[in-house]
Amino acid sequence: MNQIPLELKNLIKTYPLKESGKFVEAVRDVSFAIKPGEIFGLLGPNGAGKTSIISTITTLEKPTSGQVEVFGVDVTKDPLFTKKQMGVVHQEIINTGFFTIEEILKFQSGYYGLRNNQPRIDYLLEKLSLKEHRSKNVKQLSGGMKRRLMIAKALVHSPKLLLLDEPTAGVDVGLRESLWNFVTELKNEGIAILLTTHYLEEAEKLCERVGIINKGKIIFIGETHAVISQYSTKKVHLEMKSGLKVSFTDVASMGLVEILEKNKIAFSDIKNIKVDEGKLEEAFSKMVNS
Amino acid sequence: MIGFLTLLEKEIKRFLKVIIQTLISPIISSFLYLLVFGVSLGNSVQMKNGVPYLSFLIPGLMVMGLINNSFQNSSSSIVTSKFSGDLEDLRVVPITNMQIIMAMGLGGVIRGFLVAFVTGLVGYTFHYFKLGEVMKIEHPFWILFFVLTGGLTFSFMGIFIAFIAKTFDQLSAFSTFILLPLTYLGGVFVSIETLHPVWQTVSHFNPLFYLINGFRYAVIGFSDVDLTISILVSLLSVAITYGMARYALVKGSFSRW
Ligand SMILES: Nc1ncnc2c1ncn2[C@@H]1O[C@H](COP(=O)(O)OP(=O)(O)OP(=O)(O)O)[C@@H](O)[C@H]1O
Ligand SMILES: [Mg+2]
Repeated sequence: MNQIPLELKNLIKTYPLKESGKFVEAVRDVSFAIKPGEIFGLLGPNGAGKTSIISTITTLEKPTSGQVEVFGVDVTKDPLFTKKQMGVVHQEIINTGFFTIEEILKFQSGYYGLRNNQPRIDYLLEKLSLKEHRSKNVKQLSGGMKRRLMIAKALVHSPKLLLLDEPTAGVDVGLRESLWNFVTELKNEGIAILLTTHYLEEAEKLCERVGIINKGKIIFIGETHAVISQYSTKKVHLEMKSGLKVSFTDVASMGLVEILEKNKIAFSDIKNIKVDEGKLEEAFSKMVNS
Repeated sequence: MIGFLTLLEKEIKRFLKVIIQTLISPIISSFLYLLVFGVSLGNSVQMKNGVPYLSFLIPGLMVMGLINNSFQNSSSSIVTSKFSGDLEDLRVVPITNMQIIMAMGLGGVIRGFLVAFVTGLVGYTFHYFKLGEVMKIEHPFWILFFVLTGGLTFSFMGIFIAFIAKTFDQLSAFSTFILLPLTYLGGVFVSIETLHPVWQTVSHFNPLFYLINGFRYAVIGFSDVDLTISILVSLLSVAITYGMARYALVKGSFSRW
């Protein structure tokens, strides 16, 4: 055991394709680690291998080679221990027809050996705005409610590691904001969070660090603001007192004074300045397409 | 342990939600079987030892209800979970394969037992009105034994098939091509002695034959097969199907259809 909630070491996952006898290399030599109280964003286009990575962590799929360790314990060696440490929100929505929200959360607690878990269940229902729906059947819920139910399910046993596979897909803007706040709260409690998402705005807001994955390979890993400054274009827009407007692009490495000096602009001639720091989205598409 | 009990509770609650369908359909089908075979045909069938055909038929129908429902319960539980995607959840939570198999197995046994019990009630009512006397139960302990072993065998079989099945059709093909012939050739309706010698030999390779006869012995006090052999074959069937279920859980797919 150690204090690292999640560590992937040279993880490789290939799926055999029965029909053609070929292989899909879904994850190709991926390594990274997540610290307690950190939100790590895994970003990549469709089919990049994000869900495959999560499936090997949860033991839904076996690694082809390499290791996945949860608090230093290999997930294939002691799955009962590692499963107890983690909560998972799958990308695909579950749709059980038989039970109510409340029943599902009670069963889920039981699977983790928790008998009297009502206070925690009430807390989660409250936090995820599911309280008034607690006795509804899953089939009666909207997509966003189901998504929130899945998040509640993942948290009944207060895991120290949370795996979120596109948790805000299909959740409306207002609720997305409140989910972000909730995830930040969880992080502040010291939970380590692995988040995959297509909303780069989400990653930009939540994640200190991101890994960008394409075709199974990690092509960048580092702090979110570093990705942005390295790969996106900073723009500076100036509005002069004369009414003239000028813009400078690709000035990521330059400070404002430097730009003004280089272009021989006097500070006193400027009426307004707007700096466009660049977005993760732009950095992302540059990297993935290069 | 709490994990196992929770899963068992879920399995039971699941079929209790559809308890009416679960019990009404075996009531209707056993009623029809008894009416057609037991009462109409039964008058012309002569059993050895002077046992009325109705007394012979009732335990057979009870076993048929038991195994069909045990099989149905575990296989449909898994298949619907494959559809809805929550079978994946079962892989993610800290529950062992053995706990999953035992919880689903026992869930199936309980449903199978309920159906067998209701079938028995219908049968006993028929028996009383047709023959004017209450049918005796000879060996209650062995009834429990064969309910447990027979139910587990077919629940485990349901787990096995549902896990390795790739489509819904494969599952129903198993019911039609394997389960149904096994039942009919296992001696639910007729004593093996009335069959052609070829089919008699075939029947001896049918584990269900020993189960039905063991159960029939428990109810009416004798059958086509020695009790000891029935007991041994039933225990062996539980062990083998458990192994198959375990294999399916390890090798089969938890992912959704
Ligand atoms: N069970 C499987 N069998 C065969 N191939 C698979 C299987 N699961 C995933 N793949 C393939 O592996 C690759 C990675 O898929 P994965 O689901 O991990 O991508 P992803 O990054 O999660 O994509 P998305 O953003 O669309 O969710 C894809 O090419 C996919 O077709
Ligand atoms: Mg995915």
